[in-house]
Amino acid sequence: MSTKEKLTFDVIVVGAGLAGSAAAAIAARNGLSVAMIERGQTPGSKNYFGGALYTHSLLEIYPDLWDRKPPLERPVTESGFWFLSKDGMVRATVQGGKMQNDPIDAYVALRAKFDAWWAEQAKKEGVFIIPKTVVVDFIREDEKVVGVITDRPDGEIYAPVVIICEGVNNLLTQKLGLAKHDLKAHASALAVKQLISMPAETINARFGLPSNEHGLAASVMGDVSMGLPGLGFLYTGVDSVSVGVGVTLEALTKAGIKPYELLQRYLNHPMIAPMIAGGRLMEYGAHIIPEGGWTTMPKLYTDGALVAGDAASMVNALHWEGTNMAIMAGKAAGETAVEAHQKRDFSAKSLSAYRARLDKTFVMTDLHQYRNLSHFLKSRPDFMNTYPAFLNDALGMFFSGFGKPKKQLYKDILRSLTDRRPLVKAAGDMIAFGRTIMGF
Amino acid sequence: MTPTKTAPQNDLPEVYIDDILMTLKYFTDEHEVHLKIIDPQVCMNCESKPCVQFCPVGAYRTQDGGTVQIAFQSCVECGTCRVLCPNSNISWKLPRGGYGVAYKFG
Repeated sequence: MSTKEKLTFDVIVVGAGLAGSAAAAIAARNGLSVAMIERGQTPGSKNYFGGALYTHSLLEIYPDLWDRKPPLERPVTESGFWFLSKDGMVRATVQGGKMQNDPIDAYVALRAKFDAWWAEQAKKEGVFIIPKTVVVDFIREDEKVVGVITDRPDGEIYAPVVIICEGVNNLLTQKLGLAKHDLKAHASALAVKQLISMPAETINARFGLPSNEHGLAASVMGDVSMGLPGLGFLYTGVDSVSVGVGVTLEALTKAGIKPYELLQRYLNHPMIAPMIAGGRLMEYGAHIIPEGGWTTMPKLYTDGALVAGDAASMVNALHWEGTNMAIMAGKAAGETAVEAHQKRDFSAKSLSAYRARLDKTFVMTDLHQYRNLSHFLKSRPDFMNTYPAFLNDALGMFFSGFGKPKKQLYKDILRSLTDRRPLVKAAGDMIAFGRTIMGF
Repeated sequence: MTPTKTAPQNDLPEVYIDDILMTLKYFTDEHEVHLKIIDPQVCMNCESKPCVQFCPVGAYRTQDGGTVQIAFQSCVECGTCRVLCPNSNISWKLPRGGYGVAYKFG
């Protein structure tokens, strides 16, 4: 270490993603000096998702959100499930009604653009952004975190509190012992996606959207994952469509399939292919989703450090939530850092207020409620193939059984279920599903 | 080379991943390699070589003689290989600051 003065801030935030920029903005707004360290060329360049952002969480940080003109794509005015069989599809989506709330609850976004803007808002609050810099370790004094070591020459930066928003590959969180192990293959999903460009009018016509101010978010179950525990998705941007599929790492390697071939198989599906026909591939990408949620959550605080977002496994796989949890956690972490500075106490005990804050929000209650979801999806594979296929058969028969005695039709429909799965077992699956989502 | 498929249904389309990777932007670090095989012998003895399948950018390729080579330049830093290598034989680091994949859209 040189004799130069130590580079010191009140708060260091590691990672300029959704959690990081939220935490940094809150801390800076309350008068703290904040350094936010980002490993990418610019904030957003390493970030990747489906996906949609949730308005409630954005407003939580910036009540004047709309005046700031966020670079969002389409509002999600239609949302739901698509159940794929091998050659068919049942759609269960909702539009109108509550999907027209003011403001609309979710917006499709592209993260490279959005996160750059999100960080720019934090900068306006006074956050000092240090891009192109990797945090490789912590500076510790008496077991307390007092700063970070970066990959720059003389790259030590000091702060009494470090907020770790490093993303899903939480190697720093592991280094601190907050996470006891690396990601678990059964509780992490690899999602791959293609961003396909199409004219806005084509998207409107193909997806039945009245204008560019309408958008679709579809969760896709069934044939899309070849029966593996996983889901597909499709989101409409203004002039692009995000189409992807995610399956657990464990299932991926057991099946021995290539993720991009699984994705291409989905894109080739006879119900999907016409939707994207003629579109141009703009970008491909891959990212892990920490779907373990509660079961894989690290300890959230230690002396001098807090963890938020994907690094803390804050994902609700069933409801596609994660971005909003990251932002809420970032806010709670920022507030806790402010409070710690007021008390001049950065001990684990003082920083445990972060956990207490989160416990009062949907973040912790939901993650706890859905704690068995990963296990459920793994242990009940019929939800990934049998039921989506049955649903297609059942509705297909119902709407094609003209001129047949209806008693026989209903028997046939029932048999198309029991041929696949005994009724008792199917009932057991449904009860297990109910218990899992209710958190019993 | 096309490895044998052990998929539940053998109806996967063949995909030329290199064509797809053309859509990605990278800042390649010419001086430091962030992904390495720790012990090449371990890969030679690894029969299944699942990395050749699960890597979402196909960065892992087998060579004549049974070694595995990593095209680290096409890595998107997802972490899958670190988690799934059955022999924990991959040294996985983030690229140095500013290097690696740079999503244009995300």
